[in-house]
Amino acid sequence: MSSGLLTFAPPDGAIREVPPLGDGSRVRRALAAVLGDRRLAVPTLVLVAIVLFAIIAPLAWGVGPDTQNLLASLKAPSLAHPMGTDQLGRDIFARVAEGARISLLDGTLIAVIGAVIGGVIGLLAGTTAGASDAVLMRVMDAILAFPPLILAMAVTVGLGVGLKTAAIGATLVLIPWYARLVRSEAIRIRSLPFIEAAHAIGASRRRIIARHVVPHVMPTLAIQIAAGFAYAVLLLAGLSFLGLGAQIPTPEWGAMITDGLTYSLTGQWWVSVFPGVALLVTVTAASMLSDRLRDVLDPRSSGLRS
Amino acid sequence: MTGVIARRLLGSLGAIFGASIIAFVIMRVLPGNPARLILGPLAPPSTVHSLYRQLGLDRPIYVQYWRYITQFFQGQWGYSYSDGAPVRTLIGERLPATIELALFAFLITMLASIVLALLVTYRRRPIADRIVRAIAYIGFGTPPFFVSLILLIVFFSTLKILPGPEGRLGAQVTPPATVTHLYTIDALIAGEPGKFLEAVEHLVLPGVALGMANFAFLVRLLRANLLEVSREPFITVVRGKGLRRWTAFRRHALPNASLPTLTAGGLVLGEFLAGSVLVEKVFNWPGVGSLVYEAILKQDFSIVQTFILLSAVMFVLVNLGVDLLYAVIDPRVRVRSVVTA
Amino acid sequence: MGALSVLERMRGLREDRGAPAGVRAPQAATDDADGPFALSVRNLRTVYELGHATVQAVREVSFDLRPTERLGVVGESGSGKSALALSILGLIEPPGRVGGGEVLLNGRNIVGLSERQLSSIRGREIALILQDPMSALDPVKTIGAQLHEAIAVHNPQLRRSALRRRAAELLREVDIPQAERRLDDYPHQYSGGMRQRVAIAMAIANNPSVLIADEPTTALDVTTQAQVLGLLDRLVDEHRAAVILITHNLGIVSEFCDSVSVMYAGRLVESSSCEHIFLGATHPYSEALLRCVPNPERLAEGPLPAIPGFPPDLSALPGGCTFAPRCSVGRELAVCHEQTPVPELVEGPSGSAIVECHFARERAARGSR
Repeated sequence: MSSGLLTFAPPDGAIREVPPLGDGSRVRRALAAVLGDRRLAVPTLVLVAIVLFAIIAPLAWGVGPDTQNLLASLKAPSLAHPMGTDQLGRDIFARVAEGARISLLDGTLIAVIGAVIGGVIGLLAGTTAGASDAVLMRVMDAILAFPPLILAMAVTVGLGVGLKTAAIGATLVLIPWYARLVRSEAIRIRSLPFIEAAHAIGASRRRIIARHVVPHVMPTLAIQIAAGFAYAVLLLAGLSFLGLGAQIPTPEWGAMITDGLTYSLTGQWWVSVFPGVALLVTVTAASMLSDRLRDVLDPRSSGLRS
Repeated sequence: MTGVIARRLLGSLGAIFGASIIAFVIMRVLPGNPARLILGPLAPPSTVHSLYRQLGLDRPIYVQYWRYITQFFQGQWGYSYSDGAPVRTLIGERLPATIELALFAFLITMLASIVLALLVTYRRRPIADRIVRAIAYIGFGTPPFFVSLILLIVFFSTLKILPGPEGRLGAQVTPPATVTHLYTIDALIAGEPGKFLEAVEHLVLPGVALGMANFAFLVRLLRANLLEVSREPFITVVRGKGLRRWTAFRRHALPNASLPTLTAGGLVLGEFLAGSVLVEKVFNWPGVGSLVYEAILKQDFSIVQTFILLSAVMFVLVNLGVDLLYAVIDPRVRVRSVVTA
Repeated sequence: MGALSVLERMRGLREDRGAPAGVRAPQAATDDADGPFALSVRNLRTVYELGHATVQAVREVSFDLRPTERLGVVGESGSGKSALALSILGLIEPPGRVGGGEVLLNGRNIVGLSERQLSSIRGREIALILQDPMSALDPVKTIGAQLHEAIAVHNPQLRRSALRRRAAELLREVDIPQAERRLDDYPHQYSGGMRQRVAIAMAIANNPSVLIADEPTTALDVTTQAQVLGLLDRLVDEHRAAVILITHNLGIVSEFCDSVSVMYAGRLVESSSCEHIFLGATHPYSEALLRCVPNPERLAEGPLPAIPGFPPDLSALPGGCTFAPRCSVGRELAVCHEQTPVPELVEGPSGSAIVECHFARERAARGSR
């Protein structure tokens, strides 16, 4: 229920319910809401801009992320190097752009895989009562007993340091969180009258889960993927910062911050600040989007909010 | 109330048990040969084999687990493979610095979030509300190490008003006489206000950096709780009795809103203890976090392994402490509910 | 609820009190031949500004309350009853505000006073009892502490021991057994009825001259309701307080009140003595409200009628009479939809009333039902 790099939750700690996004008109309405609502448009446009930046910048920019030029090391931002150069004369703009690819891709993968695995576990726990539910949830509780960063650390230490194991660690952090979310949603939906009605007309359990529970859980889960993405990016950067994730010379944002730390404190601030700003903007936009999607799609939580 | 306490204790024991199994599986079973992991790729096979035997890795898995868990709780945490010192001694030496930083960060985070949440809810200015929301988003999106960096660039490199990344005290300052190992408190006990200020100056930036993300979270939580409580009828009743708005707010809204926030505060403190690993490195803070960071660099994994399970245990224990405190403070839990007609 | 028998009893009671105060025209002075009013409300207006809309919760309401008079304010939920109560006490919270008018408490206008001045009046001259006994007490403070607070805030000179003695006295006064011991209990250890007694004790702690009770018994079960109402009745008599009882329960009004005002869409549409309303309400809305009360003698007439439609949206009030769209008399009449009726003093067979209806006079003359 806490936030920040150490425990995972959306910024306000609350998990709200959203109505299902089952049919086309709802999806259209949601899209219209996203584009028509300034609160949603801002984080969406920022994220789109970051994605475009990650796709286009490495292709269009003449300098590669690993091209060293020791004659032009630690140069302040200029037209030739909009974000300056680092101690090896590498162009920071090119590295930040390459880092965007890493963070966006890995963050999305982690969030989606975490949501799928966590979702399945939550669905199983939420639709079966008794022992399997209890066992699954105890396992999730045990995972939650670790501060998230520490758990991800444990995974990288156990499986070997690197970006891949860091991603596995981050996924493991997200799984219990999604599992709990989906389980409580599934339990809530199961107790709704229309499910009881479906039972009464003889629908099978599998059918009820597939036709009624899953569609209702999906939008909640989808919105939380944005939150999970923000958190995964943050966690990966933290692990890389500690030397447990991306290894030198990979231009991962967290690794770049560690790499330039000494220089940044002695006047060459740009070495670490630009990757940090990229990280900040990406994570803030994603968590803001997830938060506001929840507000907009859930009429019960919007309106007279104060 | 004893029922509540017993349930919480049992729950915490279960969580610690589960966490120890997970730590065991991740760090002792999955790596295949933990001895190789601990000793690093360069160690000669004979050394690896002797450690393999020493760790009991040739025994059945449940025996290994039992050994692992009993040794952990007996404080037999093994030896650092880089300098041979017992891990317990190394962690023990570094713990006070981390505790002092975590407590300081906790103090300023709590104070700042209470003051800000009060300002926003009591004054009811939409603009202040928007600022708090912005802080909440940005605070969430900023990793502690990046906050540390920005703070250092601004207050140390540029403004030169606060000390740089030089640890707990300036190089020329000797620590105060040891009583609690917390420099601020020891300096006060020794009657050395200069050293106290020195210690506080060194705490400010790492404390803020550590607290930022949780400050963002707490201020939002507290604001929501305060708004909810201040709409409760009993606030109207209290004002109807003749209490001024501020008095009603302070005496009734704040205590009621603080109760749920307390649980969150416990989480935050637990996180600070475990999470200073990201901040200590930037500030060269001689705490457990830097120890772990150095150990990662040196691939000295016996320290890291101990730290990981230790953090989980501390995290669970702090939360247990908060739960129990909650049970003591909240009369609805503390006092057996007797409803008579 | 045996309304008629109670009325018989009250008729005797009221003889020495003269005509109900509510009947006086709105522009009357703050006192009359019978002496000063405990409370006079003049053109009180309360609005909630919600950004996209302005809700007019109380619209130019005026009435008078004599010392020891008991006025019932009835109406559907959302008619502005509670907003009226809070407005009188100056407790409207943003985004709401009192937009105009006067509240003369013992002759002194308290609208626009500072929070400091208001807080010295609240609880001492005018006190409040709220509906929900579950949420009307602070759950984390003992009953004793909350009683202490009510006393101490207006008697800062009292010591702790004196406060405790007075608090125990108050609990005894509201019939809480083992008062001393139960001071240290928390609200969740009290039953709903007991909590409401505590709320009453807090309200009467400083002998206020006016007591505003907003649905004081609504959340209680019927037996407890009767006990609490009986207690309130006794205490109000002993402390010689005037009461504004806000309720949607006409049975309670008939048992407890001398006069009654019917509130609809932020206005008092009919104010009169209890007899007048119960024996022949003039305003079609009052009449409709009365028809909604179950009455064993009229069982034969079939199921209880309901008032068709819904109360109007207070942020988008219709022109003319706000009740016209639902009114059995004026639903079809142009005059009702186009002209706002003005308050008129009318004489009916069982007393006088102030009524806001284009047909007030003729309806009063024939004695409605």
